[in-house]
Amino acid sequence: MTTSSLPRQNHLLAALPSAEFKRLEGDLELVPLSLGEVLYESGCKLSYVYFPTTSIVSMLYVLEDGAMAEVAIIGNEGMLGIFLFMGGETTPSRAVVQSAGWGYRLKAERLNAEFKRAGPLMRLLLRYTQALISQITQTAVCNRHHSIDQQLCRWVLLSMDRLSSDTLLMTQDLIANMLGVRREGVAEAAGKLQRAGLIRYSRGRITVLDRVGLELRACECYAVVKREFDWLLSDIPPGDPQHVLGPSASD
Amino acid sequence: MLPSHLPIANKILASLPRSEYQRILPQLEVVQLTEGEVLCEAGALLRYVYFPCTALLSLLTLVDAVEVFAVALVGREGVTSVACALGSQYSPFRTLVQSSGAAMRMKARVFTAEFRANAALREVVLAYVLQLTMQISQTSACNRFHVIEERLARWLLMTRDRLSSDHFHMTHEMLSQLLGVRRVGVTHAAYALKQRRLIDYSRGAIDIVDGIGLQAAACSCYRMVEGRHGKA
Repeated sequence: MTTSSLPRQNHLLAALPSAEFKRLEGDLELVPLSLGEVLYESGCKLSYVYFPTTSIVSMLYVLEDGAMAEVAIIGNEGMLGIFLFMGGETTPSRAVVQSAGWGYRLKAERLNAEFKRAGPLMRLLLRYTQALISQITQTAVCNRHHSIDQQLCRWVLLSMDRLSSDTLLMTQDLIANMLGVRREGVAEAAGKLQRAGLIRYSRGRITVLDRVGLELRACECYAVVKREFDWLLSDIPPGDPQHVLGPSASD
Repeated sequence: MLPSHLPIANKILASLPRSEYQRILPQLEVVQLTEGEVLCEAGALLRYVYFPCTALLSLLTLVDAVEVFAVALVGREGVTSVACALGSQYSPFRTLVQSSGAAMRMKARVFTAEFRANAALREVVLAYVLQLTMQISQTSACNRFHVIEERLARWLLMTRDRLSSDHFHMTHEMLSQLLGVRRVGVTHAAYALKQRRLIDYSRGAIDIVDGIGLQAAACSCYRMVEGRHGKA
């Protein structure tokens, strides 16, 4: 695990105009995120927000009886802790590090102060919120509608996109929680994908062998989520202070 | 032009400073919405945002243009098309009128401009976006783990809260759409709740007979969302 990490490896931070980024730069603290580490517990106060660079975090919604359902996967495309700028002080989700690496954390008050300036950071984070809501919604559909191996395909693809890597260290228990199945179900689904030549799965490590094949096998949920993120972040070129909406709606 | 001295039915509009409300009032139009009307298709350009007053709306997800289930109910506590506030012009959901009634609507473009310019509006809308995100997440988990009868109890209570009434119109067909289950499943679950003397129903008219009992019959999802934010 390399210790060199730059804030701009996180796409949201990279999309900030340099003036905004410079204001935050000194307050961004590089932190190691270890596999299985719980960054937020359900109901806990949000003291920091996190911008992963080389790690992935799984957001799980925790029910009263402890049952957990996947809500979203967050990596270098995003930020953990959006509820903060919506006036929430606590988070209803549990955030668990799914793939070890690095990230930057920022004190809650610092983020709120910058958000309240109602400038590029606000517009960026609101767009990200929209993409995240789409991901949460699509995940809800996927969990209900699609087979375990399709869900695993989606999960692997989204993770790889956020890691910018071909290899992922997978913990069966964490994935089992995400997909809401037993660990055996995950092993079986991974086995199927391996037999189809799409991944190599050995000693907990998943390597993508056939990316196109994985995308074909995944349900449309992967494409929907990817499209939302691509579209929402695409017309903000790095350093551009203008927020371009696109062609206006005709009435 | 709407009389500005009347009590404001929609809670988001009502929680704005009065002067702010009066300033945007000319941009708001009262409309009557009819049960079954589709206000916006999933993936379609958003033309209006709606602040329900007495109407009840549902946000539905689709797969291959077929409805899967509802992720949220939006009544007088909310606003539709939050995508406009967040910077998108497209709705990820199908917005359906669940229960006929009145709503105030504003052109999407105007709402986006107001949201950008107006800190008070931003604050109340973002607080609602938080609630909505939680409702969607809760529903996601609920659909995964809970059985039809307790899910049905939850949605009936959510409807009751938003309409502020124990009596409302909702067919088994509509409920099966919301819950994403076959109609026969809804019929069985509704019958069970009726046997337990928690609800009564006849030809689409639903009566909540025992609200406390119905809360106990609902899954914890009702308590988790309403408990955090209070009843709608």
